[in-house]
Amino acid sequence: MDEVKEVSLEMRDYIVSSGADTLSLCMQCGLCTNLCPYRLVTGEVSEAFNIRKMQRLGQLGLEGFEEENILFACVTCGMCLVNCPREVEIINNVRSMRNTTVAAGFLPGGLRPIAGSLHANGNPWAGEQEKRAKWQDGLDIPAFSEETEYLLYVCCTSCYDTRSQKIAKSVVKLLKQAGVSFGVLTSDEVCCGESIRKLGDEELFTKLAQSNIQLFNSKGVKKIITTSPHCLFSFKKDYPELGGNFEAVHYTELLGDLLKEGKLSIPGELAKKVAFHDPCYLGRHNEVYDAPRELLQAVPGAELLELGRTKNKSLCCGGGGGRVWAEVPFGERFGELRITDAVDKKADILVTACPYCITMLDDACSGLEKGDVLEVMELSEFLCAASQPKV
Amino acid sequence: MAFKSILVVGGGISGVTAAVEASEAGNEVYLVEKESYLGGKVTQINQYFPKLCPPNCGLEINFKRIKQNPLIRVFTLSEIESIEGQEGDFTVTVKSNPRYVNQNCTACGKCAEVCPVERPNDFNYGVDKTGAIYKAHEFAFPMKYVIDDKVCLGAECGKCVSVCEYDAIELDMTPKSFKVNVGSIVWATGWDPYDATKVDYYGFGQYPNVITNVMMERLAASNGPTGGKIVRPSDGKEVKSIAFVQCAGSRDENHLTYCSGVCCMASLKQSTYVKSQYPDAKVSMFYIDVRAMGKHEEFYLKVQDDINMIKGKVGEITEDPLTHDLTIQVENQLTGENMKEKVDMVVLATGMVPATARTKIPFETTYDEDGFIASDSQKPGIYGAGCVKKPLDVASSVKDSTAAALKAIQSTVRR
Repeated sequence: MDEVKEVSLEMRDYIVSSGADTLSLCMQCGLCTNLCPYRLVTGEVSEAFNIRKMQRLGQLGLEGFEEENILFACVTCGMCLVNCPREVEIINNVRSMRNTTVAAGFLPGGLRPIAGSLHANGNPWAGEQEKRAKWQDGLDIPAFSEETEYLLYVCCTSCYDTRSQKIAKSVVKLLKQAGVSFGVLTSDEVCCGESIRKLGDEELFTKLAQSNIQLFNSKGVKKIITTSPHCLFSFKKDYPELGGNFEAVHYTELLGDLLKEGKLSIPGELAKKVAFHDPCYLGRHNEVYDAPRELLQAVPGAELLELGRTKNKSLCCGGGGGRVWAEVPFGERFGELRITDAVDKKADILVTACPYCITMLDDACSGLEKGDVLEVMELSEFLCAASQPKV
Repeated sequence: MAFKSILVVGGGISGVTAAVEASEAGNEVYLVEKESYLGGKVTQINQYFPKLCPPNCGLEINFKRIKQNPLIRVFTLSEIESIEGQEGDFTVTVKSNPRYVNQNCTACGKCAEVCPVERPNDFNYGVDKTGAIYKAHEFAFPMKYVIDDKVCLGAECGKCVSVCEYDAIELDMTPKSFKVNVGSIVWATGWDPYDATKVDYYGFGQYPNVITNVMMERLAASNGPTGGKIVRPSDGKEVKSIAFVQCAGSRDENHLTYCSGVCCMASLKQSTYVKSQYPDAKVSMFYIDVRAMGKHEEFYLKVQDDINMIKGKVGEITEDPLTHDLTIQVENQLTGENMKEKVDMVVLATGMVPATARTKIPFETTYDEDGFIASDSQKPGIYGAGCVKKPLDVASSVKDSTAAALKAIQSTVRR
């Protein structure tokens, strides 16, 4: 039996006023807790974190939710959100509850350098702003102007992380191949702010978003291509709240359309068994399931396999909601379940379409020492690999 | 002068009730049913709650009332094509589909023995199979065979025709449309079970041992596919543990937003089926709230002592692909315990979808957001009865249909 705690309606009201408008709709059925990916792993966080109980603590303003293992555990994968019988905006509630402590200055120690870098550099990876566009050296990418149709917005991760830069470069190559009119404003952009908002730092998110909105508006940006589904979410669902109205698409959606119109073709062959991991923010949050699969199947020789948990039931890599920066003990990482599933299905390559997923799945694959039987690739890299002649 | 006759559409317990009540008040009644038999969903039920008596005796009484009453004309395998007119003077076009079996049929069953074709038995929700010529079920009324023309090989085969000693089979029957004039219409087309495959985290349709409550009625029925023995669909094994999962797609903004009001009682009742066959079986019922309204409280209190009642909406159901055993992920809301419960079989308590969500009345009618006939905007002369208006149990459907019969009679004498 839990200890007796004080109900605080003031706390409840504060959480609701921070954006948890649907908190009171929860009827405590517990479906969320039982569709939560934490039920698939063991460990301290899995035992401490119960999303149903967290809603309850919020409803009653009870203390206990602010413990780090509870408050910052949610990966915002959306499995509970899309299935909630009462349409409770569970992730907004988590965000608001995080905001009650983050706004008071209590961001967990491990996340402070992230917020610090976002403040100072406009990205979470401690990269200098001047080097944001460094990966473009020698690629001949036009600057965005009034004449270009799309702005290509590249995720911070793919601007600074050397592994992730391959994604940005591959996307550029494919867009050029398909004749898309696009340009970049990379050196003037800052982080979209999606993850820091999920972590509850509304103030920092607003600062980042306003900076981007101002930039985009001043340059006449109407349409945006994103490399990350997280940036896509932010532009589509967060920015309109601050007056930023842009037509955002993930690069897979655009390439998928161009494939159907016959403007993109993959000449080479890649005779591999390929499993696709649906990123939560591409799938459940933005309902893009078919385009990446159609692109994969456009590669001659590629055989598409489906993982056990797929499409709207896809299992999170563990990198959403700010968890990409969390230290998770080996053996408790969701990504390991994905790698094991792909290996069991005898896939040669596990393809996904999100820089966070790549980070998490790469880690899991090397942690499990499966690198010799399974390769983790981003979809754009896979398509580029197929386009290139074999060495 | 208004027409004295009444059209009743739907030959389930609601339609049959409306038909006999209206006819026994002296009105001529046309009873139109799309299936080959009367009785509807009730014929598929093993026992009624809370008395645990079989529905056959009630149906037999009603069928006897129909047989004795020259004022009722029954059209099976028939549907409504169009309705024109207004209260007191409707012209209705009825399309009668061929049975391919005439009045001579004695239901001896020789035809089915020689039929080379198989079809899933929809009466048993596809658990077993019948021939292309088949008897719908043991107590079919009218007691005649019928041919499923979607699978029948036709005259080229003709094996049933040659074996029939009564010249009862006519493979060249064709659909016929005809008109009737009536003063009023009772619409009682009933309900469909909610499609459980839509609640995809429960694995219905993928895992053979996840079944629905309506299938459980057939498994427990002595005229069902297993002769009444409750066994696992995957391997025919006896059931040592079973879980009833309530609100499978009910009270859910992503599925049916409403409570069907009968599923809790149905699961409590079905737990008695299991317990009577397997007294040592572990029977669990997972629920959000138990809704056993009114006098049903007594049944609930009695049954709950024999089974495991666990408050908590079941999350994911997973299957061991080798044994087909199932694991239920659920949180016990009273203890806070996260449970992984391994069971032999799962019964999903799916709710009721009005038939009018699928097939509307061919006449201007108002429906609510769930497809039920709206209670406040009925056209004069056309009356919904039973589960097309709201989810009801059998006893309430009978009362509602009796009331609808009275409204229908009034419409025939208003002018």
